[in-house]
Amino acid sequence: MFGRNSSKRAGVSVLALFATVAAIESANAVPSFARQTGQECPACHVSWPELTPYGRFFKLTGYTIGKNFVSSEGFNYVPMAAMAQASVTHLQNNSMIDPDTGDTVSVMQRQNSMVWSGGSLFFATKLGDYVGAFVQWTYDNLATVTNGTLGGHSAMDNTDIRAAYKYSPAGVAEPEWVFGLTLNNNPTVQDPWNSTPAWAYPYTTAPLAPTPAAATLIDGGLAQQVAGLGAYAWWQKTIYAEFSAYRTANVFSNFFRQGQPITTPGGVLEITNFNPYWRLAYSHDWGPNSIMVGTYGMTADVFPDNTNTNTPTDRFRDVAIDGQYQYITDLHTFTAQATYIWEKQSYNASFPITQETGSGYGAGPTPSNPTDTLKTFKIKGSYYYERKYGATLALFQTRGSADEGLYGTTPDGNPNTPNSSGYIAELDWLPIQNLRVLLQYTGYNKFNGLSTNIDGNGRNARDNNTLFFDVWVAF
Amino acid sequence: MRALIAVTVGLALAGAGVTATAQVGTPSGDASYEKAGEERAVNLCSTCHGPRGISTSPEFPILAAQRAGYLEAQIEAFRSKTREEKAAHDFMYGIAGNLNDPRVITGIAHYYASQPPAPGRPGDPAIVAKGKEFFDKGSPDRGIPPCASCHGANAEGLADFPRLAGQHAKYVLRQLEYIQGLVRKAPVMHGIVKDLTPDEMNAVAVFLQSK
Repeated sequence: MFGRNSSKRAGVSVLALFATVAAIESANAVPSFARQTGQECPACHVSWPELTPYGRFFKLTGYTIGKNFVSSEGFNYVPMAAMAQASVTHLQNNSMIDPDTGDTVSVMQRQNSMVWSGGSLFFATKLGDYVGAFVQWTYDNLATVTNGTLGGHSAMDNTDIRAAYKYSPAGVAEPEWVFGLTLNNNPTVQDPWNSTPAWAYPYTTAPLAPTPAAATLIDGGLAQQVAGLGAYAWWQKTIYAEFSAYRTANVFSNFFRQGQPITTPGGVLEITNFNPYWRLAYSHDWGPNSIMVGTYGMTADVFPDNTNTNTPTDRFRDVAIDGQYQYITDLHTFTAQATYIWEKQSYNASFPITQETGSGYGAGPTPSNPTDTLKTFKIKGSYYYERKYGATLALFQTRGSADEGLYGTTPDGNPNTPNSSGYIAELDWLPIQNLRVLLQYTGYNKFNGLSTNIDGNGRNARDNNTLFFDVWVAF
Repeated sequence: MRALIAVTVGLALAGAGVTATAQVGTPSGDASYEKAGEERAVNLCSTCHGPRGISTSPEFPILAAQRAGYLEAQIEAFRSKTREEKAAHDFMYGIAGNLNDPRVITGIAHYYASQPPAPGRPGDPAIVAKGKEFFDKGSPDRGIPPCASCHGANAEGLADFPRLAGQHAKYVLRQLEYIQGLVRKAPVMHGIVKDLTPDEMNAVAVFLQSK
């Protein structure tokens, strides 16, 4: 029945089919925790990186569910994973007046161009019955180099190495206590809820677009610059309490900030040797619902000049409340997170020296006030259908004290504030669970203190509105 | 028609390779494996299936008081990947795949089989009544045997046929849909449920949740 040509065609078809199947198999080979547990992304993630109740259990029990990557049976799986992103960004108005030259210049490079943002390598695996690690190394293809052209740079990213023990006395129905230790490089990276800053929405943003300048210290201000050791307890999967202490990642903990400049003025923040972080959360699951309300915070004593630790310190005290709600079924998921962070900045070192000399210590801040406050509120809600098609709406607002030394002056000569606010609307499509295609729009009502004429040359906050198309793959 | 039902039920029993004298919840293995099974159930399975096998989310089945033989067969089905629904693929292939000792699997099955059953949750009386009617009598005109003939008069399970009483309605309904659509391969059950209407399946599921 088949002639020579049809046999050939059949052969090609079989090869194509084989290639397709192989590609699908490969695409399904999700990151290393999935290889470790044998489970798929939806077991632990609503849509990555947001965790399900089971994902939280996996994290708080030290990433230890599943197999060791090497055992008496031999080599079980590759404990590494990788992630990469390619994107196009459109800034609503990409022209501005250069205040020095008066020329019209671009605000953002690579407007409307497809760029490869970079990627991450993960070493993420169980290391024994009680120990597991999540180590991320990120290459940023768009890091700005000194002459203003874009260049690549790689550095340590979020890292959380933990040990955990489940205490289940005879007769109990589920673990009575989970006790754990965490060694990490970003306050809240160890937290299992997605309302705290390290793993909060937005999960990715346009890599080159302008973003508001002010953020509380706990909201990324110490990320990949510090090393922290903490202990936590989780009682009946209901009450979670943690206490950690952070210091600058140096000497023996260099690993945690590898790739970040520590000797450059304005580089890695230098903080004292003991900066406490605390966390308390109550959670409850019923039916397909899961809720959490909690509080977290830290106090950090920061040397104003990161190259000089022979000065007094400024104190940042962050106190936050947060909450999360999840409704998770196979067809529909709805999740919401919110947090409010209140920060008191006491410029015990910077304010006196600024008053005295008109400048701060080194590249440190030059506040006009002895104390300032900075408050951030974030809320987001997401809906996903079949974990494939998602929509998210988020609101954000940062408000704080007017401080000419920190934020300059408004065009009418008054001290400026750090106030910014706006929204993010996002559509997501995950054709397979380790590929995310997203379209994200960020709109600003206020940007670095002002809504209109934010640079004194007629630029408005909404000119920074950003449309971002991103393809994000993890394997 | 009764003869047909009897034959169908007989085939079902034979197909499942079960004996009517199988006991549930009676620890028969080595005590250390019973303990190992309990340890797994308490420290891992409970995360989704709830304390003592009573899950709160209808995405995960209640395992409390389930028939031990059925549980062992299902764990084996996940291990051999012959249950092909999405949840099995996403969650259970990995969990069951790491249970390499059949004695521990037996221990887990015994643990859940010996737990007190989940209390029923009332549903719409009209739907519950319709579901009970179907569960008790089947549909003789269409050659569909009573569910009770295999799953027990009170849906408590029989031999290695699963307990259904108290199960989440959503879970039961979804399994019926999977079996109907051959996503979950259960040839005997497929033959019985292939012509059930969505309303009938929903009514039976709501009735079973109320038991």
